[in-house]
Amino acid sequence: MMTTILQVVALVAIILGTFFSVVGIVGMVRLPDVYARLHATGKVGVFGVVLLLIGAVAWTPLGWGRALLLIVLLMVSGPVTAHALASAAYRIGLRVKEPVRDDLREI
Amino acid sequence: MYYFARAVLLLTLMYLALTSNLQASNIVMGLLLSVGVMALLRPQLREADGRRAGTAVLALFRYIFVLIWDYIVSGIQVARIVLSPTMPLHQAIIAIPSDCQSDLGLALSAHALTLTPGEMVVEIGDDGTMYTHVLDVEKVETAVAAAQKQREELLEKIFP
Amino acid sequence: MLTTILTTTIYLSLLIHLALIAVAVWRVWRGENVIDRLIGLDVLSLLFLAMLVLLALVYRDSIYIDVALGLAGLGFITTIALAKYVADEQMF
Repeated sequence: MMTTILQVVALVAIILGTFFSVVGIVGMVRLPDVYARLHATGKVGVFGVVLLLIGAVAWTPLGWGRALLLIVLLMVSGPVTAHALASAAYRIGLRVKEPVRDDLREI
Repeated sequence: MYYFARAVLLLTLMYLALTSNLQASNIVMGLLLSVGVMALLRPQLREADGRRAGTAVLALFRYIFVLIWDYIVSGIQVARIVLSPTMPLHQAIIAIPSDCQSDLGLALSAHALTLTPGEMVVEIGDDGTMYTHVLDVEKVETAVAAAQKQREELLEKIFP
Repeated sequence: MLTTILTTTIYLSLLIHLALIAVAVWRVWRGENVIDRLIGLDVLSLLFLAMLVLLALVYRDSIYIDVALGLAGLGFITTIALAKYVADEQMF
């Protein structure tokens, strides 16, 4: 009984995680400029890996602690990576495509 | 004393996560190791009254819950934008003021702001203003101020 | 029955991730600018991470998650260092 529940949880997590990975890559190809692409990869891509890890917590024996640590590490490091890349992009002179407003340009 | 207990607790949790073993003997082993490490390293700890520990832990749990909720919502929102055929984008870089003084508070609130749906901090000005890239200006303009205020209050409680 | 479905799903997911890795390599090869290529590298390390987690699920062995932990830390540091290098033209 317990095994069945864990298997169903792992199944749903793996399917959702694969879906979010695909969405992250599609966003990286489809979105128009660097900043919007960072939204897709930095959040949705990391989200896919986190869901796969939840599946691993449910179905792999002995690995739950390390998997939880990895989830925390990914959730902390994902936004930091996105911020570093966005800051570098603005410093080398890439601008937002068709912005409604750009408060940073005046400085 | 409060800071010492917090460090020992964090080290023990890290040990338990890395060994993935919740038996009583392993917990005792982790506690002994953590106390040994803290006694040997003897870091400079500030003294603080232990009465605020309860509120700090409660605020920490609320903060983590808010962050995870934001994470899920922002993942779904970006997925919806990417998968819609027309891609409704109204990109902008807006300035969001921040009251945080310390470096740690500034870094943590920038992190929280990046996890908010549709937002990503591009640059932090000298006075703490956060220049944030948003995917859809019309949606976030009003909601962001209130959410940011709530998170900064929680951070104040956690790091007094 | 359910075990068969789960194993099939894991293998399908591995195949899909292989295809995604091909797309990410293409982005690194033919990027529009430097930051685009860096995003491709970051995503590449994330996808390798996902493949390691899926391997842990296939063999039901937690050693792959240890490897993934190391890879996550290394990929994070690499991306930060490269972004700083691109922005400031120097490492430190």
